[in-house]
Amino acid sequence: MRNPSSLKQEFLKKWIKGLQICSATKKKMSIMERRKAIKVSADIAMASTRKSTTYWSHALMANASKDDTNKIIIENILGNDDDNSKRIIFKKASMGISMSQKRIVRSKKIVRNSCKISRRARKISPSTIAKKLVKKRTQVLKSLVPGGEYMDDASLIKETLDYIISLRVQVDVMRHLANNASHEINDPKTSS
Amino acid sequence: MSGRRSRQSSEGTSSRISDDQIIELVSKLQQLLPEIRNRRSNKASASKVLQETCNYIRNLHKEVDDLSDRLSQLLSTIDADSPEAAIIRSLIM
Repeated sequence: MRNPSSLKQEFLKKWIKGLQICSATKKKMSIMERRKAIKVSADIAMASTRKSTTYWSHALMANASKDDTNKIIIENILGNDDDNSKRIIFKKASMGISMSQKRIVRSKKIVRNSCKISRRARKISPSTIAKKLVKKRTQVLKSLVPGGEYMDDASLIKETLDYIISLRVQVDVMRHLANNASHEINDPKTSS
Repeated sequence: MSGRRSRQSSEGTSSRISDDQIIELVSKLQQLLPEIRNRRSNKASASKVLQETCNYIRNLHKEVDDLSDRLSQLLSTIDADSPEAAIIRSLIM
């Protein structure tokens, strides 16, 4: 596992880069736009620290790149790395919508058919309830982790663990910055 | 991605999580989640672990949103773009 402080530094660098791009492209932003820019830059920075090793990072960047302004951020942050990953991400973004719709239709049909069968012979035992609960909660987890719907359970668990670690890095850095910034503004020490 | 799908059907894992995966997940999550650490480790069921995980991820998402709100409000109290970048830069080191 990577050193958390090096992860934090990399995240911070990429996040600042994304923020600078946002403020360069749009001089006066409303609070809502600024907030969205902060969050999107943070997400993209977090995902790019993982790059090609995890699925969720790809899915997150693919989702973000559907917006044109975000594409510029992604291009810049990934700028020094290989063009291959960029191409894959943008391709996934354009494909992503049609893929997810097909999958949803297919899985709804399967669920409907299996429900018809199980309704006839319904045995309520603790193990069935437990399995249903696990299945339900797995679905929730899939909806929370970016790209989760396309994974099998084994990968889902690995991706979840990695995603949680990266989320914590993101939250720690943002919290640190927010606390320090509010202290600086409320009682500035040495002037910069 | 189609390769992953065919591998999945050959292993036979439909939408059930096996016991080994549960043990792996619990041991790793124990280090991450503060709540599970205090509970009896081996007895944690899959559904409980999944629930704690989902709640934790949701909390982290919410915290990111709140922090984004806070940061956007803080940055809006400063007037122009270059002072913002300067303050942020001064806070890195």
